[in-house]
Amino acid sequence: MTLAKYPFGVLVAALLTVALTTPISSFANIYWLSSMNMPMSFVSALEIILFDFQRLGILLYGVIIVEFAVAFSIAALIKKYFFNNKYIYPLAGAFITGFTLFVIVELNQTEILSGNRTILGKTLHCLAGFIGGYFFAWLVGKERRLSFAIRSLGIIYAYLLMGLVLNWIFTPINAAANFGFVFNELAPNAQNALLRDFSSFFLATFLFSILGVITLNPVWFFSAGIVYLFAGIFNLVGIYVYLTGFNQIFIGEFFLGIFPIILGYLIIYSNKKSD
Amino acid sequence: MIIKYISLFFIFLANLSFANYQFETIASNLDDPWSFDFLNNDKIIFTEQPGKIKIITVSSGEISEVSGVPKVQYASQGGLSEIVLDPDFEKNNTLYLSYSALNENGKSTLFLMSAELNNNSLVNKKIIFEAVAYRRVPIHLGAKIDFLSDGTILLTSGDGFDFKEKAQNLDNHFGKILRINKDGSIPSDNPFVRNENALPEIYSYGHRNMQGLVVMGDGKIYEHEHGPRGGDEFNLVEAGKNFGWPAITYGIDYSGAVISPFTKMDGMEQPLKYWVPSIAPSDMIYYEGDLYPDLKNSFLITALVSRDVRKLRISENGISEESLFKELKSRLRSIGASPKGEIYLLTDGRRGKLLKLVNTEQ
Repeated sequence: MTLAKYPFGVLVAALLTVALTTPISSFANIYWLSSMNMPMSFVSALEIILFDFQRLGILLYGVIIVEFAVAFSIAALIKKYFFNNKYIYPLAGAFITGFTLFVIVELNQTEILSGNRTILGKTLHCLAGFIGGYFFAWLVGKERRLSFAIRSLGIIYAYLLMGLVLNWIFTPINAAANFGFVFNELAPNAQNALLRDFSSFFLATFLFSILGVITLNPVWFFSAGIVYLFAGIFNLVGIYVYLTGFNQIFIGEFFLGIFPIILGYLIIYSNKKSD
Repeated sequence: MIIKYISLFFIFLANLSFANYQFETIASNLDDPWSFDFLNNDKIIFTEQPGKIKIITVSSGEISEVSGVPKVQYASQGGLSEIVLDPDFEKNNTLYLSYSALNENGKSTLFLMSAELNNNSLVNKKIIFEAVAYRRVPIHLGAKIDFLSDGTILLTSGDGFDFKEKAQNLDNHFGKILRINKDGSIPSDNPFVRNENALPEIYSYGHRNMQGLVVMGDGKIYEHEHGPRGGDEFNLVEAGKNFGWPAITYGIDYSGAVISPFTKMDGMEQPLKYWVPSIAPSDMIYYEGDLYPDLKNSFLITALVSRDVRKLRISENGISEESLFKELKSRLRSIGASPKGEIYLLTDGRRGKLLKLVNTEQ
């Protein structure tokens, strides 16, 4: 079964572009901190990169999806009616990235992305947009099947989990702080339980989603989904039965639960169609 | 009908009351008010960011405008900022203004002006300081002023947002607390005055956007500054010290990116207190009056985001904190205590108010 390849092309190309743009700000920051003789280590550098992927990356992903959707739509019209060239999409990607950054600066009257302050940084952002456009052109260059969409969405899902996974593996104390734990105030046994449980929880669900992408076996997606659905359910149980206080993260947990279950059902649907 | 309005008025007061306090609105519809000081117990002089200075008579509510105000650059966070009276105002009629404006070369920066107030007019105006902190738009200016006991002036100069890294360099005025004489000259005992690579006005560095500054009777200097997303700080300032921004911070960037993975570093000062999430502290006094016993000997900090006043009390056991006046539900811009000890608040925005705190027990 073929599908609407353009929307998925935008989603996947935007993801690649995020992966290229986010580290520009991270490395600009790492470079400055190193120049100030701050004790940057592999771990602290990794901490910056992972944190940025997790926070800045998600924000940028939303922005880039919108800008690519607009730019590639216009580029598609130009390509069809005026000028059929294989570099239309890459140029559209580069232009819209530069233009968006310019607009963000003008609207906020400040340079929000630290990686965009220099000419080099601006050039690298545009280059990332160019590569994103090139990838988009490759993706939409031929017909894709539903399995391609499922794999693409599965990769995006895995990307959402990846930041959490790497954070818990490499910088668990900071990861714990993000969840409201003051690590050093916990008893040693509690510290141990927190680290092993959370790390294995996020690592396992990340691996489930990766295995789902590779094998297209719906069981892997269902497994990840069930875990997060129950996390969301017990979050609500905590709030309303044990009065632990409101924790809006249950919205994210339900999203992370429902999303892979939908992917699982899409695989089943796709298999039935093939039969 | 009259009874109805009187009842509504008392319901209004009851809603605004905090314990034994109530708020009385002295003036409203103020245009981006930023700072105020007391000419006497009944007259308050205040700034509006677009570039106006006004005097209000508290007892009558009458407002008059001061002429001769310097041209300011009213944009983003900039405009006319702080106004403080000289400690010898009764003798010399001198006051000090901080504001953002374009210099002769068309560059935006922070200025400090002295002037005499004469019949509601500013005369003998002198720009006594122009910050070497040039920026595209006036943002993160700091702009707070206070006096040390030796008569020198402390001025906070913010990091300009886009130039935060320069707060760690001594060749500029971004992210610095500056100390100058009243005539603009530089005190010979400033900490970096003999450092060829540093600007001699610098008193301390590594700050962000400092909008609260208090010099205590014993000479201790306290300031607070806005953090980014989290990481607002309350600091004890000492000459020559580096307060770390942005190399160390408890906050993250507005974009969600890491600013620094470090919160502590040798050679960089730790805050006495920090706030995560941010409260956006906008002004501070140390209250020593007797009219509000619960507030005596406390730092009172107005906040824009948390929309309250934070009462901080320092003791041997650390710093205690209490949130006050949440019921106002207003972004609070400035706070001051009259010579008599009455506390006033300015609310933020294009329809700002001047409020007086009334102790209903007295």
